[in-house]
Amino acid sequence: MMRVTLTMKPRSNPFLPIEAEQIIPENFIGSRQVMVYEGNKEHSLLNICVIRRDGNVNTPENVSLILRGDWSRVKRVGEYMSSGTIVVEGDIGMHCGNFMRAGKIEIRGNADAWLGREMRGGVIVCHGDAGDYCGSGYRGEKRGMRGGSIEVMGNVGEFAAEYLTGGSVAVHGNAGCFAGVEMRGGYLTIDGDAILPAANMVAGECVVKGRVLEMVPTFERVGEENGMIVYHGDIANRGKGRLIVRSTSRTE
Amino acid sequence: MMHDATIHPSALSDILIKNAYLVDPIQGISGERVDLCVSNGVIVDAVSEHAIVIDADGALTLAGGIDSHTHVCGTKVNFGRYMSPEDMRAGRTARRGVMYPTSGYTVPTTYGNSYRYSKMGYTTLLEGAMAPLEARHTHEEFAATPLQDMAANALFDGNWNLFEAAQQHDYRQAAAVIAWVLRAVKGFGVKLTNPGGSEAWGFGDDLASLDESVPHWDVTPREIIDTTIKANEYLDLPHSVHLHCNNLGMPGNYTTTLETMDIPSALNDRRQTLYMTHIQYHSYGGSTWRTFRSESLAIANAVHNHPHICVDMGQVMFGRTMTMTADGPMEFRLYTLHHNKWSNHDVELETGSGVIPVYYDRKNLVNSIMWAIGLEMALLIKNPWQCLLTTDNPNGAPFVKYPEIIALLMSAAYRDEQIATVHPSLGKRAPLPTLDRELSFEEIAVMTRAGQARALGLIEEGKGHLSLDAAADIAIYPIWPESMDPAAEYEDIISGFSQTLYTIKDGVIVCRDGKVVQKIENKTFWSDAYVPPQYDVEKNPRFVEMFDRFYSVQFRNYAVQDEYVRRGHPLVRTGKWDTEGGG
Repeated sequence: MMRVTLTMKPRSNPFLPIEAEQIIPENFIGSRQVMVYEGNKEHSLLNICVIRRDGNVNTPENVSLILRGDWSRVKRVGEYMSSGTIVVEGDIGMHCGNFMRAGKIEIRGNADAWLGREMRGGVIVCHGDAGDYCGSGYRGEKRGMRGGSIEVMGNVGEFAAEYLTGGSVAVHGNAGCFAGVEMRGGYLTIDGDAILPAANMVAGECVVKGRVLEMVPTFERVGEENGMIVYHGDIANRGKGRLIVRSTSRTE
Repeated sequence: MMHDATIHPSALSDILIKNAYLVDPIQGISGERVDLCVSNGVIVDAVSEHAIVIDADGALTLAGGIDSHTHVCGTKVNFGRYMSPEDMRAGRTARRGVMYPTSGYTVPTTYGNSYRYSKMGYTTLLEGAMAPLEARHTHEEFAATPLQDMAANALFDGNWNLFEAAQQHDYRQAAAVIAWVLRAVKGFGVKLTNPGGSEAWGFGDDLASLDESVPHWDVTPREIIDTTIKANEYLDLPHSVHLHCNNLGMPGNYTTTLETMDIPSALNDRRQTLYMTHIQYHSYGGSTWRTFRSESLAIANAVHNHPHICVDMGQVMFGRTMTMTADGPMEFRLYTLHHNKWSNHDVELETGSGVIPVYYDRKNLVNSIMWAIGLEMALLIKNPWQCLLTTDNPNGAPFVKYPEIIALLMSAAYRDEQIATVHPSLGKRAPLPTLDRELSFEEIAVMTRAGQARALGLIEEGKGHLSLDAAADIAIYPIWPESMDPAAEYEDIISGFSQTLYTIKDGVIVCRDGKVVQKIENKTFWSDAYVPPQYDVEKNPRFVEMFDRFYSVQFRNYAVQDEYVRRGHPLVRTGKWDTEGGG
């Protein structure tokens, strides 16, 4: 087991975004230099943070990256990650876990937008809130997250699990507008409230255990299951998905 | 607009290309070693001893490539860009030297188009369809496509003034309208896209045959096509009418195509009288998608019997692309098949358009047949001057696939290899597997530059050939025809045509080994056709009244101002007004 602790150094302009797609466990085996962009300047990771390694291994499965300090402006951590673990002790910036294939990312604080976008496999757990487009596809992409799981303990922003195609997204708090919009498969569960969930869905299953504050009208009520109302739709899109809600503002 | 191209004086020096293996069908040279001298942007007899010397060592040297039907600039191309942000993930290149950053694969940025065409040796492009009302934007994008000379066909398929003239079979009045619009919008030729059909689509309708009247107009596609061709030849425009036939993409549409071919008689001895674009999309048999089959034999036969007609392939290649056309109803039909994002657009009194992304799948029988038809057209039409190489970029495929198409045409072995990967029933629906013709370098040169130069009437402008005083647009490819067999070494053909050793535009080396090395400025060809004063539409009260009543722009604001076309190159035509007593 190898623990690599990355402690962010104080930055002269902490608002300047950093693009750090190379921060994945496989890049910390051996002595490969990891490069990041701060603004439009390319730097070695050593200029941005202090790196401490405990232990030595040859396989990325046994690498555990610990991100300490303020990482809330760092984008694309864990992009294309395929093994190992990343633990973020505070907040993380946008696009964390892009295209992730395997491994685990744990975020102890909040995540910014596009958490696990177009993810294919692996596990992401976020103990705080996640921003907009959690587990969705990027602009124009018709197939979003295809596998793996995302669990968010807090709330998520708008368009969570947009174009969800496979895998599962679980939100323990509330979701913003249009959670599960254009779903093509997979499972989305929201323990809190949601607004206009699953609009235009084609397939898959979306469960809202709190209140649905606004409901898309083009869903057909097909029955009840365990005290929850089951809908089929979205009929407007010839969809065959299932939307299961506890209560809605919709009057039948 | 970009006006920052300052050519370094060293780039303007003379060039001597030694040992070029020249193939120049217009001069009748089908492959011989020559030395080419370039000075002041044109081909000359001799150069000074200070000239840059390029030793081609027998490398294939052709005139700069010409694309006679492509969609690279204008409002619908731009709509394709902003409706598909996912496309911008592909093809990203960073800023480097004189090159701007680019992105996009099916609808790249304007510089992306320009650089990639230049890398393939292309120096002249014809934008296939420009809505006259939206011409300003097209010309602005022309200015940002600097490595190619540009020209734009103006759309007339739903032009109300042209309808009026066609209704009365008055080709002189039609000629006056065409000449005025081309001058106003700096257009090059006349494009008819689904004539009458795009206008009918404004009323939710399409026209199924050549003899069906346009709603609210007593005029048929046949009359529109006939009148426009006569008007076009009366004005003696450099290019013929550029026709996208009715019923594009419908199973069984080949009968419409055959009927259309019978409309014009031969009216021009320099070039074709009718240019039928993306013929692949118009050569479909069967009556539904289930009985869909290729009718390339019938169409190719008809092309043989109509030597005054020229077609282009409109080849489909497998993979992701974007369809865009002024044919609104056809794009809607396509949307009902794909259920993907789509757009439709109506240009008042003139035309319409539609854009949708598609994916051509080699495991799909219909797509496989479409792929086969384009190749069949090129192989079955014996005269390469009558069938030019295009993909109707980006409708059939992005233009970067041209080298693969060239290899498919030059090598039966490569075709067999590809046929093995497509839908197994292809052979029952299309004759492609039985064809064994392999095109020569000369035929490819005709289909990619010489034929285009003749079809567009640009031979006199020095395009498409490398005779004395011709424009020094030269492409030197890393292909050595003296020591290779293109039928066997098709992979070298693909890589060779994908990237030139040198691309020279107007005597300046603009691209070397795939890297753009020089900023230059292009020019825009447009047609300045004479109309006698008594036919001047500006003095025609009916025309002005119609304009003021129906257009949302003022008559005086319609014409494209000169600052949009800084380097316009008018092709002046006097027409036949005097000789036929019309003046």
